[in-house]
Amino acid sequence: MSDTAEPRPKAYWSRIVDAIARHRALAVLVVLLIFPFVLPYEALASNIVIFGLFALGFNLVFGYTGVLSFGHAAFFGVGAYGTGIAIVHLGLPWWVAMLIGVLAAGVTAMIMGALAIRTRGIYFAMVTLALAQCVYYIVYQMKGWSGGENGLNGVIVGQIDLGFASIDLLDPMQKYFFTLTFVALAIFIFSRILASGFGAVLEAVRENEDRARACGYDVRLTKWLAFVISGLFCGLAGALNAIHLSVVPIEILHYHMSGQVVMMALLGGMGTFFGPFAGAIVFLLLEDVVTTMTTHWQLILGLVFMACVLFFPRGVWGSVLQWVRR
Amino acid sequence: MTKERHFKKGVQTRRQILKTGLAGSAAVLAAPWIGRPAFAQGESIKIGFPVPLTGPYGSEAQEQARCAQIAIDKFNEAGGLDGRMAELLVRDDKLKSGEAATRTLELIEKDGVDFVCGSLSASVQLAVNTVCAERGKIYNSISQSDAINEAENFSKYTFHEAMNPHMTAGAVGDYVFKNSGKRVAFLIADYAYGHEMARGFKVAGEKYGIEVVAEVKHPLASKDFSTFLPQIQAARPDVLCLCNFGFDQLNSLKQARSFGMKEQMMMVAPALLYNQRRAGGASVYSGVVGATNYYWKLEDEIATAKAFNDVYRAGNDGAPPSDYGAYGYAGVGVLLNAVTAAGSTDTDGVIEQLEAMKYDLYKGEEHYRTCDHQAVQSVFIIESKDEADMENEYDVFRILEKDGASEDMLRSCESLGL
Repeated sequence: MSDTAEPRPKAYWSRIVDAIARHRALAVLVVLLIFPFVLPYEALASNIVIFGLFALGFNLVFGYTGVLSFGHAAFFGVGAYGTGIAIVHLGLPWWVAMLIGVLAAGVTAMIMGALAIRTRGIYFAMVTLALAQCVYYIVYQMKGWSGGENGLNGVIVGQIDLGFASIDLLDPMQKYFFTLTFVALAIFIFSRILASGFGAVLEAVRENEDRARACGYDVRLTKWLAFVISGLFCGLAGALNAIHLSVVPIEILHYHMSGQVVMMALLGGMGTFFGPFAGAIVFLLLEDVVTTMTTHWQLILGLVFMACVLFFPRGVWGSVLQWVRR
Repeated sequence: MTKERHFKKGVQTRRQILKTGLAGSAAVLAAPWIGRPAFAQGESIKIGFPVPLTGPYGSEAQEQARCAQIAIDKFNEAGGLDGRMAELLVRDDKLKSGEAATRTLELIEKDGVDFVCGSLSASVQLAVNTVCAERGKIYNSISQSDAINEAENFSKYTFHEAMNPHMTAGAVGDYVFKNSGKRVAFLIADYAYGHEMARGFKVAGEKYGIEVVAEVKHPLASKDFSTFLPQIQAARPDVLCLCNFGFDQLNSLKQARSFGMKEQMMMVAPALLYNQRRAGGASVYSGVVGATNYYWKLEDEIATAKAFNDVYRAGNDGAPPSDYGAYGYAGVGVLLNAVTAAGSTDTDGVIEQLEAMKYDLYKGEEHYRTCDHQAVQSVFIIESKDEADMENEYDVFRILEKDGASEDMLRSCESLGL
């Protein structure tokens, strides 16, 4: 955790939080393991871990490097389309397809990053938004491959034979744990990256770009690398989403999706490890529950978001952290 | 970075607010699983109904849900299936395929529905169809699409109660090209639906040797058509086919009228919807020719239409049902008819019945073609009335022609790859 408070007499809660912070990846995993048993239905739990991973990847750029990208839907979408196309049109096995999806997202991030990284602040957000819209229209126009407006349907994996065991993806619980395996792996890698020297440089860039440069770090390259790594994580989330839903809708590339991930990261707490997952949980669960109750769900969600911005400026998890560490 | 000053002032209150907020969100989080229902199979017959309750087609979707409920009530009043009652589970798909896929998963996995019916967009229905087919659930789609009939998307669990763009445009094209000029212009909304409609028109026109003098595409949800319409005007067509929908249709018609194009050429809108026409007003639409699956005036000749209208009117202050609403009624109704005929909710038994049965729910006899499960049904060619000719506010169309149910209207099974 970057924003650890000054050492002072610690309360009981604070000690627990610190313990969690030390084993952050493990803590996230424990929460996610009990997830499908407490949520209304398993498909929602799968959605939440997938979007949590998406927001986690996004948070590397937004929360840790301090750059606001408004084009992350492109990586999520390219990951999903890459996987989907590999399964539907090329008939490749699921794991090759996922690899293709993730790599395609990585390549997209390389190109977008190279073009966008020279700008800063609001201009960076605008350029990434524009580039992501380009990706949207390219995919939209590739009707033969992507299905265009109709989306890509029939991304069906069904049974997975591992040799020693077989996984039935039609069983919602098995599908959740299949998804979670990849998410868990990603979480551990993510935690490792943050703990590395590179992770420290990222935060240095966020805190003071000039000072980081003065220390001899190549700020541009650092940002670009963060962008690409972030794209890989988001691509993995997209690949999992394609397998989870068996369809890849075109709206996955829409800028609404980019906005949604910004919202999740903010809601959960930018620059915190658990924040993106907290954001995904609050966002998706609230939307799911409120939608079932009323057709005016947007009004209620809007009010909740406003309340969050007013009362939890550091996001849900960020506020929890601050509260227990006072 | 830090916002310390917030926390130095009024520690107590802020803390309280935080606590209340946390407690509040905990309560919200806890709510769904407190009432988590156990799988209750073998009790009621559950039909999942994902439709876009919110968004641009919200009112249409809510009407579909109301009509579907009428079919459920009718089944239950007749005693259900040996006392097993039917239940409609309406879900909001927000007109997004991803949301629809998640909602369908919820309906199948959590609610344990027996059948799924619904959706109001070409792309959404394909997503719902994929999810249902993968899990062996019967899905009856009630919105227009050509792709759902094609081998790529079709499965034995897929049924399509709605008409498809091919038959809609084909029927209108037949009428128009037979009776008016051969110089035809197209205004096409640049997405799947628009292109499918245009394709249907061209196929219909081949027989009559039409000449396409202009083909103008506009982006979806255009506000300003003033750059597109002069191109069409300059080509001097006899007929203008509007292959668009909703507000695009309304806006392009409004502007075409102000350009004086209505006097110069015949306006054709293949999907001429009752609610759209009522929202747009008589003056904008008068004289426009199109096709529909249903218009309430059919009650003068068709007994089932009368019965359906009467039930709907009783619950809706005397207003008659719309065309798309009727799809909701028919889509759910035919599933329940098949359940009754099969004597169970067993999927294969119900499919067998659906394939075999001829049914008349609201518009005369229909049946599902065996190869693609497309509902073979009559298509009605209608013309929007002038204000002066309307008997009351609901009397908006004149029925010009009835094309009886025939498989000739559909693409051949071979051309669909089946």
